[in-house]
Amino acid sequence: MKLAAKYAFEAPPEKVFAALVEPAILQKCIEGCEKMEKTEEDSYDAHLKIGVAGLKGSYVGKIRIYEKKPPESFTLQAAGKGAPGWVKGTARIQISPKGEGSELQCESEGQVGGVIAAVGSRLVEAAAKKMLHEFFRKLGEQLG
Amino acid sequence: MSTTIEEAPKVEEAPKGAKASQKYFGRAMKRVEDPRLLKGIATYVDDLKLAGMLHAEYVRSPHANAKINSIKTDSAKKLPGVVAIFTGADVNDKLGTIPCATPLPGGKSPDHKVLAGARAYFVGHPVAIVVAETRAIARDALELIDVDYDPLPAVIDPEKALEKNSPLTHPELGTNIAFTWSLSGGDVESAFKEADKVLKIRLIHPRLTPMAIEPRGCVASWHAGESSLTLWTSTQIPHLVRTLLPGLIGIPENKLRVVAPEVGGGFGSKLNLYAEEVVISHLAIRLNRPIKWIEGRRENAAATIHGRDQIGDHEIAIKKDGTVLAIRCKAIVDVGSYCQLLTPAIPTLTGIMLCGCYKLKAVQMEVTGVHTNKMSTDAYRGAGRPEAAYIIERIMDLVASELGLDPVQVRLKNMPEPTEFPFQTATGLQYDSGNYQAAFNKARELADWPNLLKERDAARKAGRLFGIGLSTYVEICALGPSKTMAAGGWEWGCVRIEISGKVTVITGTTPHGQGQETSFAQIAADRLGIPIEDIVVLHGDTATAHFGRDTYGSRATALGGSAIVMSIDKIIEKTKTLAAALLKSTPEKIEFADGKFFVSGEAENELGWGQLASEAYVAKNLPPGFEPGLEASSFFEPPNCTFPFGTHIVAVDVDRDTGQVKILKYIAVDDCGKQVNPLLVEGQVQGGIAQSIGAALMERTVYDENGQLLTGEFMDYAIPRATDIPDYVLGSTETPSPSNPLGVKGVGEAGTIGSTPAIANAVIDALSPLGIRHLDLPFTPERVWRAIQQKGGGS
Amino acid sequence: MIAAAFDYVRPATLDEALEHLAKHGEDAKVLAGGHSLIPAMKLRLSQPRVVVDIGRIRDLHSMRERDGQIAIGALTTHYEIESSDFLKRSCPLLPEVAGKIGDVQVRNKGTIGGSCVHADPAGDWPAAMLALDAEFEIGSPRGNRTVVAKDFFVDMLTSAVQPDEILKFIRVRVTAKTTAYVKFAQKASGFAIAGVAAVVDKARKDVAIAVTGVAAKVYRAAAAESSLRGLELSATTIATAAQQVADGVDPLSDIHASSEFRAHLARVQAKRALELAASRG
Repeated sequence: MKLAAKYAFEAPPEKVFAALVEPAILQKCIEGCEKMEKTEEDSYDAHLKIGVAGLKGSYVGKIRIYEKKPPESFTLQAAGKGAPGWVKGTARIQISPKGEGSELQCESEGQVGGVIAAVGSRLVEAAAKKMLHEFFRKLGEQLG
Repeated sequence: MSTTIEEAPKVEEAPKGAKASQKYFGRAMKRVEDPRLLKGIATYVDDLKLAGMLHAEYVRSPHANAKINSIKTDSAKKLPGVVAIFTGADVNDKLGTIPCATPLPGGKSPDHKVLAGARAYFVGHPVAIVVAETRAIARDALELIDVDYDPLPAVIDPEKALEKNSPLTHPELGTNIAFTWSLSGGDVESAFKEADKVLKIRLIHPRLTPMAIEPRGCVASWHAGESSLTLWTSTQIPHLVRTLLPGLIGIPENKLRVVAPEVGGGFGSKLNLYAEEVVISHLAIRLNRPIKWIEGRRENAAATIHGRDQIGDHEIAIKKDGTVLAIRCKAIVDVGSYCQLLTPAIPTLTGIMLCGCYKLKAVQMEVTGVHTNKMSTDAYRGAGRPEAAYIIERIMDLVASELGLDPVQVRLKNMPEPTEFPFQTATGLQYDSGNYQAAFNKARELADWPNLLKERDAARKAGRLFGIGLSTYVEICALGPSKTMAAGGWEWGCVRIEISGKVTVITGTTPHGQGQETSFAQIAADRLGIPIEDIVVLHGDTATAHFGRDTYGSRATALGGSAIVMSIDKIIEKTKTLAAALLKSTPEKIEFADGKFFVSGEAENELGWGQLASEAYVAKNLPPGFEPGLEASSFFEPPNCTFPFGTHIVAVDVDRDTGQVKILKYIAVDDCGKQVNPLLVEGQVQGGIAQSIGAALMERTVYDENGQLLTGEFMDYAIPRATDIPDYVLGSTETPSPSNPLGVKGVGEAGTIGSTPAIANAVIDALSPLGIRHLDLPFTPERVWRAIQQKGGGS
Repeated sequence: MIAAAFDYVRPATLDEALEHLAKHGEDAKVLAGGHSLIPAMKLRLSQPRVVVDIGRIRDLHSMRERDGQIAIGALTTHYEIESSDFLKRSCPLLPEVAGKIGDVQVRNKGTIGGSCVHADPAGDWPAAMLALDAEFEIGSPRGNRTVVAKDFFVDMLTSAVQPDEILKFIRVRVTAKTTAYVKFAQKASGFAIAGVAAVVDKARKDVAIAVTGVAAKVYRAAAAESSLRGLELSATTIATAAQQVADGVDPLSDIHASSEFRAHLARVQAKRALELAASRG
C-alpha cells in the first residue's frame, strides 16, 4: 500500500524538522502511542494501541529515524506486532520552504499481516490514510 | 431454485411386483445416511469427547517468508490450564517428514518438517503448538507466545520466481523449480509442419480454495497398555494415512487404527496427510492423553491445500477445415512452499487429458512446478482435469472463431465415432467407451439449440451482451490400475451373510458424502436378492475395513462396488455347494435366482439365505470339506481407468455497465455409464456445476505481493450460494464402461470438469461482438467491465 | 475463532444499561443483534471485558408514527422493517433497504440501531438514513440528545454515539413512494461496493442521493443533487446528475473493486436508483 500526501505548515522547515525527530512530540502526534522509549540514537521502542473505532489492537515495536538531512528530509520506519497481526511502514519526509512556512511531502509504504490483512484488508488503506492525516494535523497543533 | 431433470429421477418406490434381484439398482432412492445427518445425530470429529482429552491450538506464521529467531513460551506456559507447548526444536527431529507420494524424477523438494524450524515459508505455516485443558485456554495462550521473526522478501509470482534474480523460496535447493515433467505423444513436429495455421493462446487457471464446510480436525488417543494409537481424523483417506503415518511417528502399522468419522466435505482437501495430524498423533503418545485439534476457517483457508494455479502457453496446429492436429503446451504450476501428497501428479493429469474427446495426432506438454511462499497446491475436485478440459474446450472455440466456423461443427469434426472405442489417444490413454455425439446431440436437443441461437440473435440486435457456451468434455477417473498408482489402485470389499441372514458389507472406500452406504446396499440387495433394509454398509475405520484405498478420483462405485460384486459372487458360488448338499444334489445342478437356491427344474424346493446362513454357521450338516461361514472378501484390480463424458451448454447475459454475468440457461448431459442411483448422480452433477460456477465467476485465492492471504475468510472468498445457481436442465446418456463388472464410470468430479469451460465459452461469446477474443477466469464484474471498456463497449 | 473471555450483563432498562457503560468505560461494548460485534470478538479484533446485552430493553423495540414522523426503536430488526406493511406504505425505502442486507439469518438478528452505530463504510442503512435526513435520538448520561444524519456518520466505523451512550430511536419522515435503493454487492460478504439510496420529491423538484460502500463513509452526492434541483426528472437530467455522483470523493480500493470501478459503479447505481425512484410515482 503506497500513500502520498502534502501538508502545509506555518512554521519554517527547521522547526518542522526538529519537531518531527523529537520523541516527545512524535509520541503526541501518533494517536494511541502509549509509550515511546529511546533505546539508541534515533531508535525507539514503542507501544501502540491503534486501529479504527472499537477495533483497536495493541502493538509492540520499534520506531527508527534515519537518513537525516536537516532540515530537508529524513526517513521514518515503524514496525510492530500484536495479536491482530503485524504492521510495518516506511515514510520518506521531504520539507521545503513555502513562503514563510513549509510544505511537507510524505511518501509512505505500508504493509500489514496476520488477522488484519486477512479480514480487514478493505479498511486497511482507509485506516492508514486516516492515521497519516491525523498525525500531520496533530503536528500542526504541536507547532502552534 | 429448482432443477428440471429431463428424465426426472423423483424418489421412486420399488417397482411393483419386481423380482428380488431387480428392485434397487438404477432406482432413485433417498440416502440411508441422510436421517442422521439432518437430525444432527451423526458423529463428526469435533463431536468426539474422550476422558481426559486435551485441546490443541497452533501458532502460525503471519509472514510468508521469515527467519524465526526465537520463540518465547514462558508466559504462555504459566497460563493456568496450559499443559505443554512444543516448537520445531521439540518435535522435528523426532518425527519423519511430510511425504509426497508422487515425486517426479529429478524433482527437488525440501524436507517438509512437521513444524517450522529455522524459517517459516508461508502465511499459516505451523510454528508452535499449545496443548491445554480447554480450547479457549489454548487459544488465549497463543496471544502470550512471542515469536521473533525476521521477515524476508516473499516469492509470490511463479513466473518471476523463475527469473535469474529472484529470491529463493528454499535457498538450499538453489532453485525455485520444484520439478519438471514432459509428455510427448505422436509426431508433434510433422503435425505442426502439416498445419495450415498455428494459433497461440495463454490460458490461466487461478488458484482456488476448496472451503469444505467442515474444516480439518483430528483426535488422537494412545492406548498405553496395548502400545497402540487410534487417530480419528476428518479425512478422505484413513487407509493411506495408516500406511504413511507409521514411518513418521514410529508406531507400527498393525498398532495403528485410523478412523474417518462423518466428514463434512473433502473435495480433495482431505486427500492428504497433514503436518497437524502427525503432530497431534505424536503428542498424544508423548503426553499420554487424548488430544483434539479442530482448525478454524482462516486456518483452513491458509493451511489446507489449494487447487489448480496453472499458467499455460499453448500453440495449436490446425487445418483450414477445422481439424485440430496437435497442441504444444508449456505450463507453469505454482505448487507453493512444499509438495504435499500428490502435488506433482496434478499437472500430469492435465497433460494426459489434454486432447479431450478429440482425435488429435500429437500432444506435447512441458510442465515446470515452481516453489513459492504460499500454501501447497494439490488435488481439488477434478485434480488437473478441469485444467485440461478448460484448455481443450477454449481451444475448440478459438479454432472456430479464428476460422469462422461453427463451434458445434468443429467439435463434431474432431470427435471419434462410437465405433472407434476403445479409443487410443495421442497421449497414450485408452478411453474405455464413449459416444460423445449422443450426449452432444441430446444436450442440444434439451437446449432447443436452434431457438437458443435465435434468442442470441434477437438479444444482440437489442444491444445485449448475450452468449452461448459449449463444453464437450471427457475425463479420467476411477483411479486406477495399480501400475500407474503410487501405492496400489485396487479396491477391497467384504461381504458377510450373518448367522441371522442379515448382510454386512464392508468397503475399503471412504464415502464422505458420496452415498455409498445407500448405493452399495442397492448393489448388494439386488445381487443377493435380499431386502435392502437387511443390509448395512460399513466404511472409514481401518479396524473394520481392513484394507482399502479410500475415496478420491471418483473411484468408489466403479472399484469399491466391483470388489463387493466379486465378493458376493464368491459367496454365491460357495453357497451352491451347501445348497447342493442340503437338497441332495450336486453344485452344477444348483441355480440361484432372486435370492433363492434350487435344483434346476425344481424351483418349488428352494432354500433362502436365512436357512442357509444358519446351516453355514451352526455347522451341523456341512458337506465334507466345506468351511463354515458365508463371508468373502476381494481385491478388485481395474484393467483401466474409466472415462465419463458429456456436454454442457450455457447461456449468459453480461451487463455491460457493471460487468455482472448472469447465467440464464444451464443444460447438462452427463454420461457416467450405468447409474446405480440417479438421485446420487444428480446430486454430484449439481454440486460439481455449483463449484464450477464458483471457479468461473467468483472464486480466486489471492495473496498480496508480500504473501499475505487476502481471501482467508468467507468475507472475501466468494463461493456460490443457492441464489447463484441457475435452474439446471439435467439429462444423461448411459454408455457402460467395460472396465468393471458394474459398467459404471464415476461422476463425482465430472460436473466440476465439464462446467467451467462451458461458462467461460459463454461469457467470451457474449463479449465477442466487441472484438474480445479471450478473457481469463474468474469473470468478476471488474474484470469483465474493464475488458468491455478497453473495447469501447460501455453504454 | 474463539473470543477472549468476557463478562456478560443483560440490563432490563436503558438507565441500567447506561449505568453499566458509565461504570466500565472503554472496557464495555453494547450488544444488540450481535452480527457485527460477535464476528469481531471471535476474530479478537474486539475484546470487550464486559458485554452489555441490550436486547431485552422493550422500549427500544418499537415502531410509531405521529404527525408524519416515524420513530423506529434502535432494536428493531432488519426483518421486522423488511416485512412491515406499515413501512411499505409510509416509508418504502426502509423495507427495500432492509431486504437487501446480508441474508435471512443476519436480517433476523441484526438491528437498524446497531447497524447505524457500527457505521460500516459499506453498510446499507447509512445510505437510507442520510438520504432521508433521519434524526437519531441518543440516550446519554449527559442528557439525551438528537443528532441529524449528516452529523451522525462521523467516519469509517465511527458514529456520533459516544462509548457511554446508547442510540434509542431513529426518526424519519413519511415519504412519497418515489424512493429506491440499488445495491451492487461484494460477492463474498454481501456488503455494498456501491449502494445508492435515492429519495425523489417530485412536488418540490428535489432529490436526495446517498452513496455507501464507495468512500470511507457514506455521503450525499451534493453535486448530483444540485444538478437536479428545480428540474423535471428525465432520462437526460438523470444521466447528467449520475455522472457527478462520485465527484470529490476518494473511493476505497480492495481486491473486489478498484477505486476507478467503484466510482463508475456509483454512477451506474445512481442512474438506476433515480430512474427506479422516479418510475414509482
